[in-house]
Amino acid sequence: MRRAIAFAALAAALAACAPSVPGSSGSSGSSSSQAPASADRLTIGTTADVVNFNPLVGNSRTDSWVTNLMYPHLTQMDATGKRVPYLATEWSYSEDGKTATAKLRDDMKWSDGKPVTADDVVFSVSAVQKEKFGVVAGLITALDKAEAVSPTEVRFNLTRPDGTFLDNVGFWLPIVPKHVFEKAPSVQKFANDANWVSAGPFKLTKVERGQRYIMERVDDFGPGTPAVKEVVFRVFPDVNTEVLALRNGEIDVIGNVLPPATATDLKNDTSVKLQEIPSLGWAHLQYNTKRKPMDDVRVRQALAHAVDYEAIRNIALKGFAKSSNSSVLTPSLPQWTDPAAKEYAFDPEQSKKLLTEAGVANLSLNMIYDQADPNIARWAPMVRDSAKKAGITIKLQGLERNTYLDKTAKRDFDIYAGSWAVMDNPPANLGLAFKSGGFINYAQVSDPKLDDLIDKAQQSLTVEDAKAPIQEAARLISDQVYDNVLYVETFNVAHSAKWTGFQPMPSELLSILNPLSLASAKPAGS
Amino acid sequence: MTAVAVDLTPRQRTWTSFRRNPLGVGSAIVLILLALTAICAPLIAPFPEGYGADTSQPPSAAHWFGTDDIGQDVFAQVVWGTRVSMAVGVSASVLAIVIGLLIGVSAAYFRRLDTPLGVLVDLSLSLPVLPLMILVAALAGPSVRTLAVVIALFSWPEVARVVRSQAMAIVPMPFVSAAKVVGGSSLWIVRKHLLPGVIPVVGVSVVLTTSRAVLAEAGLSFLGLGDPNSWSWGTILHKAQQSGALASAWWTTLFPSLAILLLVLSTTLLSVAYNDARNHRNGS
Repeated sequence: MRRAIAFAALAAALAACAPSVPGSSGSSGSSSSQAPASADRLTIGTTADVVNFNPLVGNSRTDSWVTNLMYPHLTQMDATGKRVPYLATEWSYSEDGKTATAKLRDDMKWSDGKPVTADDVVFSVSAVQKEKFGVVAGLITALDKAEAVSPTEVRFNLTRPDGTFLDNVGFWLPIVPKHVFEKAPSVQKFANDANWVSAGPFKLTKVERGQRYIMERVDDFGPGTPAVKEVVFRVFPDVNTEVLALRNGEIDVIGNVLPPATATDLKNDTSVKLQEIPSLGWAHLQYNTKRKPMDDVRVRQALAHAVDYEAIRNIALKGFAKSSNSSVLTPSLPQWTDPAAKEYAFDPEQSKKLLTEAGVANLSLNMIYDQADPNIARWAPMVRDSAKKAGITIKLQGLERNTYLDKTAKRDFDIYAGSWAVMDNPPANLGLAFKSGGFINYAQVSDPKLDDLIDKAQQSLTVEDAKAPIQEAARLISDQVYDNVLYVETFNVAHSAKWTGFQPMPSELLSILNPLSLASAKPAGS
Repeated sequence: MTAVAVDLTPRQRTWTSFRRNPLGVGSAIVLILLALTAICAPLIAPFPEGYGADTSQPPSAAHWFGTDDIGQDVFAQVVWGTRVSMAVGVSASVLAIVIGLLIGVSAAYFRRLDTPLGVLVDLSLSLPVLPLMILVAALAGPSVRTLAVVIALFSWPEVARVVRSQAMAIVPMPFVSAAKVVGGSSLWIVRKHLLPGVIPVVGVSVVLTTSRAVLAEAGLSFLGLGDPNSWSWGTILHKAQQSGALASAWWTTLFPSLAILLLVLSTTLLSVAYNDARNHRNGS
């Protein structure tokens, strides 16, 4: 199973949204429920073990949470998805767009005392480029060669102008220590499961598989010494048990996103604080455009008019979801959104009309989804029931996760229901998702006009230049129903009211567990 | 009672003593009620679909068993769940009994088959059933039919073993030898002598296998391997667990669990009562 997940690394990382495989239950912690929080220890609940300690490979959420605290990225992002400095202090493109440079801060050290330098960045990006693995490989196809200009400056030579390059590398690429990783014959196969040399706000000191992961504060962490001495990740069987543990004071933060019903429930609990985190992805239905009759745009539009979007957001998601106006440019990234976008209305009569026009009767389609994804499992029957009103039969196929991934990879479905977790840069992501032959182009879209628009947006070096073509691309995607965006989820993460100072960032990956947030977390009232 | 009992046939005697066991009769009534619920589901409650405005409401006059997190009536879910749970249980059990009966009787009657079939039964009994069921159900895709077949495939060995041991006691009987001597075919002997002899144990088996099948179905559905297009007790539990409201919305889990408990308990009590009633030595 692990292999199968690793096999679909890119798809999984971008599309991952289901709860991870539960680990075994942890033993009960030592902290008592009444004591006020001390800065000694912050305990975080998670539902999975760390599968891969190699940050360049790992792709589960727990993997990312732990390794993100150990290996810096060039940039982080603010609440609107804009990049903010982390290891890099500034970054820019040359005028022709064929070179990109990033300046690094000089006060970051690996835990063995060596400084973090441009050589490490060059090594990390070159390793991925050479061995072609993980999420990053698909995003740096424009890279020709990376070189260290000085210990604090990296230059990336590109084969073509690519305005998405720095955003992608900055956000997705963890920087690993060259002097440790280069000893491995293959960086991809390097397990990195002991004697870690890291450079984040916390370093991993002890692993008890299935129980907990203990991380200690790094006193000379560049951006500022963390307030809390020790961060502990504890493994729980599921969110329900995490909620009980949080209420009992056994843990301080629930790492996993709360199911909407639980969030509504916890809202009234004064000992718990909820943080709303915008998702960078979206939940959607994709219609296989290579299958009849869905190759006809009228049929796809009929399907889009047969979904009760409001009900899904308000009932299945309990209101913790925003409309994206049927656009792939979501409100989570306000600098890209198109104010002219309009959501398909739920209108069964219109659906019937469109189907008659297309000459389709008794439409019956199967819809695959991951049975283990609680939100989708809740709204999939609603999609079926609303389609019934338009005379469309949808057969639900709630599948076990690996079967679902396999069918998705083979494009073996009529309708795909799922969600993309992190779509942080529209020109880059739309390329993967909608360009002919794109890696996650599940709907098998093949539209030369769309390809051109996305290419144009990718070559633009600034958001301002990229905006016009990418908005036109998004309108095309919406009009042609290459993607039917249902909603953008508002995640809820819970932490004990005894703690404060978290810096929430968008997406489940960053949430309040991102390194800068945990470095600034402190007990309330101190 | 001895004076009266002498004149009764064994079947009548079983029936008389069964009727005197309140637990047995009570269980039978509960099972009949559950079966009626399953058959008459459309008359009792509308099929739970769509969504409602009253989400996560505790039990009330309007919603006897409360509502779930998308506002569907839990009572309707349990009623319709009875249908699928019992259908899967009964059909899996019938299938398992047929396979078990065939293999058990063949093993007992055809001596040469005894060893290989015995090995097969032992092998099947030693398989890790739950993981295999999960695997097969996951690969075959979720549907009511898949569930019934998968459960039956893993339930027949117990039936086969019970049937074989009962049949082994019948095969050496003089009337079987006599039937052979007068030239009866094997099929005829099995039909006329062996099957009637093993039917009483099968009767108990049917009931017990059904309850085990219902449990297995609930387990698989709870793990998300149930049919998303229909309701079963396990599916209700699965959805309740997924919604993350286990701790607060107790009614979403209590009622389907009660239904499972009721069915399993009454089948067990029924088979115990039947066994006691049939065992005439205890009757006098």
